[in-house]
Parts: sequence; C-alpha cells; structure tokens
Amino acid sequence: MANHTTTANLADDLPLNAEDERKIDVIRHAGLLLIACAIGLVANWVGTGTSPLVALPGMAVLYVACIIGLGFARFVPFYLPSVAWVSLIAILITIPGVPGAAWVSEQVEHLNFLALATPALAYGGLALTASEFAIARRSGWKIVIVAICVMIGTYMGSVVVADLFLRLGQ
Amino acid sequence: MTGKPGAATGGLYLHILVLAIVIACELIGIQRLSIGLGTVIFLPILYAFALGILLNPAIFKASAKFLSKDAVKLSGAMITVAIMPFIAKFGTTVGPQISKIIEAGPALVLQEIGNLGTILIAFPVAVFLLKMGREAVGATYSIDREPNLALIADKYGLNSPEGAGAMGVYATGTLIGTFVFAIMPPLVHGLGIFDVRALAMSCGVGSGSMLAACTGGLVAVVPDQKDIILALAAASNILTYATGLYVGMFVALPLTEWLYNKARPSERATA
Repeated sequence: MANHTTTANLADDLPLNAEDERKIDVIRHAGLLLIACAIGLVANWVGTGTSPLVALPGMAVLYVACIIGLGFARFVPFYLPSVAWVSLIAILITIPGVPGAAWVSEQVEHLNFLALATPALAYGGLALTASEFAIARRSGWKIVIVAICVMIGTYMGSVVVADLFLRLGQ
Repeated sequence: MTGKPGAATGGLYLHILVLAIVIACELIGIQRLSIGLGTVIFLPILYAFALGILLNPAIFKASAKFLSKDAVKLSGAMITVAIMPFIAKFGTTVGPQISKIIEAGPALVLQEIGNLGTILIAFPVAVFLLKMGREAVGATYSIDREPNLALIADKYGLNSPEGAGAMGVYATGTLIGTFVFAIMPPLVHGLGIFDVRALAMSCGVGSGSMLAACTGGLVAVVPDQKDIILALAAASNILTYATGLYVGMFVALPLTEWLYNKARPSERATA
C-alpha cells in the first residue's frame, strides 16, 4: 500500500496535462520559441555548414507556422494538438500551386531536419526529474524488456501492414 | 520570464548549457558502425539526449548549482517548444510529395492498425514469459506516450497496477526510445525484405524524438530516398497524432483487457 502511495506521488510531475493546450500562453511561448529557433539555427550551422543568415528566411517561415499552430490549438473550439496544427499549416504552404509554395520549399531546404531536433533532445535529457529515473529503476528489468517489445511490436506491426498494402497497390 | 529574477538566470544558464550540448553533438555528427546484419547509426540527437541526462541535476550534483528546480521545469516546457520547428520542417516535406503520399494512401492509413502489433509481441512476453500481472495491460496496450498514459490514468488511476505498467513503459521509452528507434529501422532495412516506404511510414508513432531517430537512421542508410522518407514519416506521424488516442481507447485497450481475461480467467473470478 505504501508502495502505491509513492507511485502516485511520483506521477505528480509526469506530463499528463500535455493535452491541456487550451491554457497555453501564446505570448510566452512566442518568446521561448524564438530561443529554440536561434539554437536550431546554430545546430544547423554546425551540423551542415549552412550559415544562419542563409537559413534565416526558412527558419522565419517555420517560426510563423509554429505561432499560428499554437494560436489554433489555443482558440479553435475543437481539440487538436498544436503539433498537428503546425504540421497541417506546413503541409498547406508547400503544396505545389499554393502561392509562394516553391519559395517556402526552397528556403526550408537550407535547414537539416535532424539538426532541428537536437535542441529538443538536449532539453529532454535535462528535463528528466528524479521521479522519472525512480519509476524506471523501480519498474525493474521486466518492464525494460516489455518496453523494448512494445517498441519493436509497434514499429514492425506497421511495417508489415504497410508493406503488404504497398505490394497490393502495385 | 517567470517573473522571479532567480528563475530568469536559471533559465539563461539552461539555454546556454543546451547551446553548448548542441554544438558539441553536431560537431561529432552522424557516425556509422557496420555489423554483420547491417549498419548501426549513431545520431547527434542521441548524444544530445545522453549528455542532457549526464548533466541532469538529478544525476550530476554539480549541475544543481546552476540549474534550479525551476530551470528543470522550464526545460520540460522547452521540449514541446523546441520540437515545434522540427515538426514544422517535417510538414514542409509533405507538400511537394503530396501526389506520392496520396498514391501510398491506403497503406499509410492502414499501417496505423499495425501499431496494434505491440499487443501481438509484447503482451505474450509480459503475460506468459515474464508472468506479469495486470501491469501487463497498461504496459503493452500501446507505446505509452503522453496521450496513452493519460488514457490509463483516466481509466484506472496511476496508482493501480495498470498505471504502474503504463508509467514503467513510459519512463523506459523516454530513456531508451530514441536509441531503439535510431538503431532498429536501419537493421530492418538491412534484411532487404521491406519496401523503404513501409519502413518510413511506420516511423510516426506519436513521439517527436522517436520520429526524428527513426527517419534520421533511415535517411543515413538510404540517402537518395530522403525526400519520400521524410514526407511519408511526417504524414504517418500526423495520422498517429489524430488517431492514436482513439485507437487506444476503442480498440487497443478493450482488446488487451479481453486478452488478459482470457489468459488469466482465475483472476477475473476472484476480482
């Protein structure tokens, strides 16, 4: 019983309110996003050798797409996570035929997708709390095996189904 | 930014530390290790995450001097903010490839059902091999990222066996998921059985870091297919964002519950 109580306490700082994006402060996020984009430009510079000045217009487009996505997640009356909105906006502005699509595609080409993910993972490593380490340690080796099976199963299940239907479609 | 001067300095140190980590990791760059089956790919995002953990105040005590509790909390908020430009960049790869995406449409939609493969593989291992109890239901019904964890919290509470299982897989996935998703797809590609488009569209599992690792690994082994790999992975990830919670709620969790009750009929009688 005591064990269960501590587990519940440990859960307090897990990101369960992640979908509560209705309350996000768009202005504060606009500032934080500016920092993230600046670090992303440096990552891209070091990783690919592309000067931040060359990559700046593309990053500015991504920045605006993110802000609009955040605004939609905050103010549109039905729920869709901000990352989904951001994706949809980014797709829309690059579909051939949409005004400016060719220019947008050309500009974002200066940004390496993987370099843009590096800052998020650095924050991720630093953001882990003592309780997350504690949960992982307490769960023990069985959970590690199960977690690996879960990841392999999720991926391979999709691969097999996708491959099957790609073959059928040919 | 939070109004307290102390927190603002903590925040400044946090961003500077992240900048330093990012520069170091990008300098090392992508590394490849050829083994018999294929190529193991090491990506800068892996080093960044590992360095972040090593310098985490909960692990490395000296960091606590610079990074307050508030700074760690800010770091958590920064993950979702910092992944956004990446997600946006990913989206821009879809537009130009839209006709090829539509061509692969049926496979793209149906592979979402393939995510139930976790039950197929992980459930028997957990229940029959490792003799786990009801933890197995929470642990194996989905990949247990944030929305799936929230569903378990809502239905069973986190201080239930199901909640403990889900949290365990969540925490483990957070710690090793990036590594697994960077290493697995290039090895599966090395088998030479599957269409690279199938490998790409399976990368979208609803986690930004797993998506980055998976596509990064694939692009490193098949660089000439980069555009279509990115576009398909991005499209499938959006589909997972949109459908993942509902598949979990209406299909995966009821199915796992039913399987558990079939596997352990005696527990049901005593419950």
